[in-house]
Amino acid sequence: MLSEYFTKLQRKPPVPALVVLYLACVLPMGWLRLGPLSDHPVTIGYGLPLLICLWYPERRLLWSLMVSYALISFYKVFMDAPDFAQQAPFTIWSLQMVNMLVIGLAVNIVIELLGSLREQKKKLEQSNQELMGRETEITRQNEELQSQSAELVQQNEEIQQQAEEMQQQAEELQVQAEELHTINIESGKRQAILQALLEALQSDDARDLPERICHLLMSLLGDAASAAVILEKEGNDLVVLAHAGPVGLPTRRWAFDRSFAAIVMGHNRTACVPDLRLRPDLEGAQTTERMFRSVLATPLRIAGKTAGVVKVYSDHQHEWTSEQFKIIEWMSAQCSLLMDSRRLQTELLRANTDLDRVVKERTAELQEMVNELEHFSYTITHDLRAPLRAMHGFAGLLAEEGGPSLNEESRGYLSRITTAAGRMDRLITDALSYSRAVRHEMPKEPVDVGRLLRGMIESYPIFQEPKARIEIVGELPRVLGNEAGLTQCFSNLLGNAVKFVPAGRVPQVRITSERHGDAVRFVCEDNGIGIPKELQSRVFVMFQRLSKDYEGTGIGLALVKKVVERMGGSVGVESEPGQGSRFWIELKAAENDALSA
Amino acid sequence: MSTPLEKARVLYVEDEEDDVFFMRNAFRKLGVHERFHAVGDGARAISYFAGQEPYADRAQHPLPTFVLLDLNLPIRSGFEVLEWLRGQPEFKALPVVIFSSSGRLEDRQRAEQLGATEYLLKPTSGSQFFETARQLTETWLGAVRNTAD
Repeated sequence: MLSEYFTKLQRKPPVPALVVLYLACVLPMGWLRLGPLSDHPVTIGYGLPLLICLWYPERRLLWSLMVSYALISFYKVFMDAPDFAQQAPFTIWSLQMVNMLVIGLAVNIVIELLGSLREQKKKLEQSNQELMGRETEITRQNEELQSQSAELVQQNEEIQQQAEEMQQQAEELQVQAEELHTINIESGKRQAILQALLEALQSDDARDLPERICHLLMSLLGDAASAAVILEKEGNDLVVLAHAGPVGLPTRRWAFDRSFAAIVMGHNRTACVPDLRLRPDLEGAQTTERMFRSVLATPLRIAGKTAGVVKVYSDHQHEWTSEQFKIIEWMSAQCSLLMDSRRLQTELLRANTDLDRVVKERTAELQEMVNELEHFSYTITHDLRAPLRAMHGFAGLLAEEGGPSLNEESRGYLSRITTAAGRMDRLITDALSYSRAVRHEMPKEPVDVGRLLRGMIESYPIFQEPKARIEIVGELPRVLGNEAGLTQCFSNLLGNAVKFVPAGRVPQVRITSERHGDAVRFVCEDNGIGIPKELQSRVFVMFQRLSKDYEGTGIGLALVKKVVERMGGSVGVESEPGQGSRFWIELKAAENDALSA
Repeated sequence: MSTPLEKARVLYVEDEEDDVFFMRNAFRKLGVHERFHAVGDGARAISYFAGQEPYADRAQHPLPTFVLLDLNLPIRSGFEVLEWLRGQPEFKALPVVIFSSSGRLEDRQRAEQLGATEYLLKPTSGSQFFETARQLTETWLGAVRNTAD
């Protein structure tokens, strides 16, 4: 109750309320004192309103009330002067004043106390509030800490879980690494084996190879294999090609019938006998295999056919694994491959050697034949010429010495003999030239065709005025060719050009050159009889004479074509009957600037 | 030439009798046939030069001042004769004119290597031997102008 009261006191009254309170306390008091109770002494009546100030702890109100009451009291005692105050007015007023002062002072003290109380309370409340605030803060922090703690716990759990997973993975990796290591060792072993096999293939001694394969097979199978052997079937026997390990071989030949090899080869697949003691029916068990308890065998193919077996023995009872099956099959395949390639290599080598020898023999034979032919043709032509010379010579002598005694007809016959002999001689000469052009080497060098042609024209009167008019137009470029060959070609072309003209016409020949890329074409243009289109393709063919009216052997142009082709060039003709012919020879230019040279 | 021209003689080595006939005929026309001697193969030619029988008599078989040599000869070829001659000190400088129907470059080169003085191609006709004989006589016998008239 007291705290409620103090709580109310804390309120600070507003100024209008103070005025209303002041008036409410002064006006009724004045009215009572000066009105109805003006004749009665009221002693303590002033103290009561002052107590209002306990409710409204305001000193201004207290003191203004006390001043007002003092004035009212003064006025009643001294101005109104009632009856009861007639005797000692000052005393009465003083007593009243003392009374009022005591109360006023008491109230004042109370107000001050209240003020300090209020102050303290305020401070208390303030500190209390601060404390509350701190407490809230602490609570909040506490909550945060708690939530963080929870998270930490959760994270911890996750980490724990992850650590477990990692542990598991590490274990798996460890296992895989171990497996890899095993595989690695295995593949390393196989690689080494392949390497060894390849080296064996390279080595000169072919017999080494199966031996090496046996040793490699044993190293690959490790403890499982006590011995290895490669057998090849020969007729009704098995022949030991190679072996490794302590195979106490009584002989290198075993009977094929009823052997394990026969079964394996018969079924053409890998097979094993885990315990040989249970198979006394096998022929081999009586001999070598008696020493061993089990065997694994696979067929061996040579040149595509099952020709033998690869066997591995173990000296104790043994269930062979599929891995070991694979190994022996793989080794057998390698063995087949290597032996085949070895065999092919040998065959190839032999074939090569044979071929080489055959080629050499044939070449020598051919060379001999060519030499014989050359000698033959030389001798023949030489021997043919001697009677020809005699025939021609005696006909001449007869005409010369017996001429006057012969009649016209006989002289005509003599002339025919002379002509025929002359033609035969030309035929022989041309045939010889042709065979030389075909046979002989034709080394190429830069040839100055202009110089060659001028020399040729100067040497032969038939190429000179007034018998013919031959013109070389401009400087002719140098070409790559054979000088002797080119001389033959141009002498034939010019000879034809001046020969095949209508009777009574002076032959006119123009020689020009044209550049065709890196080749030069020499054109020999005449005013002769020309060649019909349909015959042009035949002019370069051997023994093709296109006119009976002109002397010729039919070899000249064939020779030209042959020689030019042997020099890497080409020939051709453009012609119209009666319009003359344009024969051309095309050869590689000697220099790049040949045209300007 | 140390030998007097009157004593200059030719030895024709030739197996073809017709060729010998034409050549002898040509020299006769030139009036120097008494200086013309002929043998029919390479072996005889060597015997002739060596003075062996039947050529030991130098009065009948005098040494020539130049040789007209066919290449294609029986027993010993013209090349062998040439080689033999060049191997003999007394015949090292003897003029040897090759007279062959072979136009082969290798024959010509071989003859030159072996020391032939000249290489003449046989004419197509026997009647053309006269021209050859005339040139040879002019060059080696120096007796054409006197007798040609």
